[in-house]
Amino acid sequence: MSSSSQPPTVAFTNKPEELFVEKHVKYIQSLDTRKDEFEYWLTEHLRLNGVYWGLTALHLLNHPDALPRDETIKFVKSCQHPSGGFGAHPEHDAHLLYTLSAIQILAIVDALDAVDTAACVTYVAGLQKSSGVFAGDEWGEEDTRFVYTGLQTLKILGRLDAVDVEKAVEFVLGCQNYDGGFGVVPGAESHSGQIFTCLGVLSLTNTLDRLSPASRDQVAGWLAQRQLPNGGLNGRPEKLEDVCYSWWVLSSLAMLGKLHWIDQNKLVGWILSCQDDVRGGFADRKGNAVDVFHTVFALCGLSLVGWGGLKEVDPVYCMPVETTKRLFGPK
Amino acid sequence: MASYDSDDEVDYATDPAWTDITPLPQDDGENPLAQIAYPPEYALAMSYLRGVMAVNDHSARVLDLTADIIGMNAAHYTVWGYRFKTLMALETSNGFNDGKTDWSWRKELDWVQSIAKQYEKNYQIWHHRQLIIDHLNDPTGERDRTNEMFASDSKNYHVWTYRQWLVKRFNLFDAEELEAMDLLLDDDVRNNSAWNHRYFITLGRLGAEDPAEGVIDREIKFAKEAISKAPQNPSPWNYLKAVLRKGNINLASLKDFCERFAPVHPEGEISSSHALDILSEIYDEAGDFVRAEQALVLLAAKYDPVRKNYWRYRKRLLGSDENVLIASEKTPTVHATA
Repeated sequence: MSSSSQPPTVAFTNKPEELFVEKHVKYIQSLDTRKDEFEYWLTEHLRLNGVYWGLTALHLLNHPDALPRDETIKFVKSCQHPSGGFGAHPEHDAHLLYTLSAIQILAIVDALDAVDTAACVTYVAGLQKSSGVFAGDEWGEEDTRFVYTGLQTLKILGRLDAVDVEKAVEFVLGCQNYDGGFGVVPGAESHSGQIFTCLGVLSLTNTLDRLSPASRDQVAGWLAQRQLPNGGLNGRPEKLEDVCYSWWVLSSLAMLGKLHWIDQNKLVGWILSCQDDVRGGFADRKGNAVDVFHTVFALCGLSLVGWGGLKEVDPVYCMPVETTKRLFGPK
Repeated sequence: MASYDSDDEVDYATDPAWTDITPLPQDDGENPLAQIAYPPEYALAMSYLRGVMAVNDHSARVLDLTADIIGMNAAHYTVWGYRFKTLMALETSNGFNDGKTDWSWRKELDWVQSIAKQYEKNYQIWHHRQLIIDHLNDPTGERDRTNEMFASDSKNYHVWTYRQWLVKRFNLFDAEELEAMDLLLDDDVRNNSAWNHRYFITLGRLGAEDPAEGVIDREIKFAKEAISKAPQNPSPWNYLKAVLRKGNINLASLKDFCERFAPVHPEGEISSSHALDILSEIYDEAGDFVRAEQALVLLAAKYDPVRKNYWRYRKRLLGSDENVLIASEKTPTVHATA
């Protein structure tokens, strides 16, 4: 979806607060020096995701060199399996979620040739099922998230031809619910995160027009309903707001060209209130402990609504637009 | 053996049961990004797991070892996978009943349930459970297990996904399932997950097929009663519109019902922005653009200003049929697999 089709972004006339750029950079850098902390080893299974989240955040913050490039590439290489897929950490089993993170990291630092991409394509293609869905790994859990992660990986590697794209699109379309949203599998409850992955699949395969205009309006209307009176966004009706939905909801609205259907000023004020103004980083909501997951999605949300000083993020790929332009050419 | 009492601390390095296994410590090489200072008991257990995986050992003690590791880190997906392989191998070799191992699939399911209660956000647990029940081809007790989970979090997405798989896999689109949704919605009428599941079992599963006699009327009545209890709750409104689409019933049939919650002419007390929203569609279809616009202006200015740009967009669409969903849309095709 072209960002030029968006209405002009809102000028923030009365900036509610400041974005603590330097503190966020320091926070992300510090993650690497906290390896003796309990939380660090407990999130070992997310390690490769964590590097991707941190790296993307640093690029959006305009500090692309704040993580050492060579070590990053070396780490990604050490997570690749003989199967071609990537695990979360060296010696962890391969899984699509980490495979996409690995390929995104390498795409961002422009080092895709550092790993065996042909083997990676074979691994991803092997996970597509006859229904069009992808399994996450050899254990066979099926989820629209994996359709997105599989297809984005292949798109970055220029190998969408390795799978049945039409079947994948049909599977995703079959996950649309009566309220307009999408779930993990056909019939599963609409969830903002799953809507992001489903619209992402349709966007990166240029099939968003398979949804009728009325249907696109319905899902965009559902997404706009996620904004609560305090400005924050939730993931499902009658649930609490959370900073990560600043990405899942906003990117989806951006893909549909309807970012302006929510109150962006209110949202920005709410996102900024979730910063740790002493040590940096963002929490799921004000006053809670920060983590790198919520930090990157807060920054992505701010970037999508055009917060000054942040690099532009691509709503389909969740990578800097600089990266997707280099990969796919200008939109 | 295989008691899974969390007080049973095993020191793999000195326990005679483990002397034949060579522990394999994590090899991070020279990579500083990969080095993590693990607590010693976790690092030790993991090196024994690498040791058993290296020799493809699927003996009963692997159940103890993997339970120990999962107790420390339930999100380690590799450990769950190896545990399932081990359970399958033990069943094949009759290893559940070899005289010293006191284990069974039912005991495994009890243990999984206890872990699920400790780690509500974990999804490996539910996939593990799904693999087991699929293998056993027997859903006995599983609805009760998920109901038990709903008692502490009735919107847990992983549990709902599992429940829907269960219903599809064993064709449980029955009275018991509908009654379970009655209970959940009676307890919390705002539970969107339960509304979604209700649609799934009543109409969603039918795909293009027609519902049985009386189902549409019953569901319209159910949704209207729920709306009367909490008019600003979006879930039953979405549900009601979906039921009408499935029944090919004109939205205009809701006019009187909606006006009870949103009298616009003359303007009275508005108790539901959703009623106002639907009324704008009804007036629009009837060609009454003045009232349709009035409803949308009220939404933008007074009852839902956070989305004023959306309501303005809707105002621009008045008189066109661009925003009308056709009946065949929004009914995902879900077929029972059993």
